[in-house]
Amino acid sequence: MRNFWSILAAYLAAWAIFFVYSATVGRRLARLEDEFRRLRERVSKD
Amino acid sequence: MGPAGDGQRQQIDGTVQEMEMTTKSKQRVWGLAWVATAILLALAGYAIFFVAPRELTMGNIQRIFYVHVATAWCGFIAFFISFFGCIGYLASRQMEWDWLAVATAEVGLMFTTVVLITGPVWAKPVWGVWWVWDARLTTAFILEMLYIAYLLLRKMVTEPGRRAMISAVFGIFAFLDVPLCYFSIRWWRTLHPAPVIGGGPGSGINPVMWHVFLFGLAGFLALTVILVRDRYRMEALRQKISELAADLEEREESLESKEVTR
Amino acid sequence: MSLTRSTGAVLAKELKIELRTHDLTNTVLFFVLMVAGLFSFAFSPTVQESRRILPGLIWLAFFFAGTLMLQLCFVREQVNDTLAALRLAPIDPSAILFGKILANFLFLVVTEIVFVPIFSVFYNVNVWPVMGQLLLVLFLGTFGLSVVGTVFSAMTAQARMRELLLPLLLLPVLAPVLIAGVEATSELLGAHPGIGREWLSMLGGFDVIYVTATWLLSGFLVEE
Repeated sequence: MRNFWSILAAYLAAWAIFFVYSATVGRRLARLEDEFRRLRERVSKD
Repeated sequence: MGPAGDGQRQQIDGTVQEMEMTTKSKQRVWGLAWVATAILLALAGYAIFFVAPRELTMGNIQRIFYVHVATAWCGFIAFFISFFGCIGYLASRQMEWDWLAVATAEVGLMFTTVVLITGPVWAKPVWGVWWVWDARLTTAFILEMLYIAYLLLRKMVTEPGRRAMISAVFGIFAFLDVPLCYFSIRWWRTLHPAPVIGGGPGSGINPVMWHVFLFGLAGFLALTVILVRDRYRMEALRQKISELAADLEEREESLESKEVTR
Repeated sequence: MSLTRSTGAVLAKELKIELRTHDLTNTVLFFVLMVAGLFSFAFSPTVQESRRILPGLIWLAFFFAGTLMLQLCFVREQVNDTLAALRLAPIDPSAILFGKILANFLFLVVTEIVFVPIFSVFYNVNVWPVMGQLLLVLFLGTFGLSVVGTVFSAMTAQARMRELLLPLLLLPVLAPVLIAGVEATSELLGAHPGIGREWLSMLGGFDVIYVTATWLLSGFLVEE
């Protein structure tokens, strides 16, 4: 299969970017949700 | 704490419970959406390699087309929405528009990065070079630079209202610049193939390829939607967190002052 | 007070400050002179090569000089918070921007009039036959640079790291002006000097678009 490695590299790069970006967004979101929950508990406790 | 404080607390407790319920069910729906998108993209990957026919002149390398063009469309749609977010913010001064603008700008930037990486890999075997400075490639490059600058600008301004306004003005300038850039280079001969889809007479695409392309596009669009939603939610949460923090600080201050008077 | 008169008043104020101190013009003149030298150290071009690279060189030198200079036009209002006083004046807020745009444009134009002959000498390219057209092209491009640069300078005046930020914002936005400007200049300095009307109208069109956008958005930029 001609150009097999080029295609594979392109697709791997694309999927890696999707995956890494989605993971970072997910992680940042989870961290913010945590912080929000913590602050909310403190507010309702006081 | 006085009666006014109690009333406020009840109100906060009420909204907290309400929010708890809606976030739970919403989270389930968006979790499903993530799973569905992942499956859709996996199926699209299968279709691209095993269903779509080989292109006659370019051979297998043409299979990059499905991801290259579809992500380019998604990126451009995202930037277009971002442009409207900027206009919406300036017209209404509602932070929601700013959140939409930044969410779509970041997701659009991610897609443009994919376009700029898959493009040269495709170009090398077909054109013999990784990169040429023709109209489309240069415009894509400038587009990437503009939205990196947009995100950098946002990082450098801390006050949310001011940041929203400044970045909205920049976003409008940036988006207006894209067609200018394209037309200023179109005077040179352009190497990039003309659009295959809807590019006027003579352009066309095999129906199987077309369906595979649409299938992939659906997957990328779904990814765009959920990523934008998550990124938007991040901005919303940031605002809520800063409100809560300000609230807490205020209470602590009032408690301290009470102790001092006692 | 009408927009033209108030713009004129702001312009006069900028010119008066500049004539008193010569801060901007001195710095920019020195900067461009330095760049003219550095480019030739970096490339040591032959006569043939310099004919080819000179257009890009002229434009890059003025672009970088412009970004350096534009940095200051709002920052130096902050020292005594004179921008607040300007905002209080009973004039259209866009007059502040337009006055500053014209002032920056004039400073850059002066630099260009001084430096085009110097570039011509340093790089052994005879620009006299096309001097008028060359300056026209340069002025059209410089006007775009001044408009966008002044607007962005107003935007970034209160940002962190504004000295680094302004070029990062400005240079990608001005890429079309650079492209059209360099192309037009190359045609003028080429073997068959001439000027394509499309490049001139393109540069003029950019200016019109930038001015319109500035006029529409100026209310947001100067307020607060």
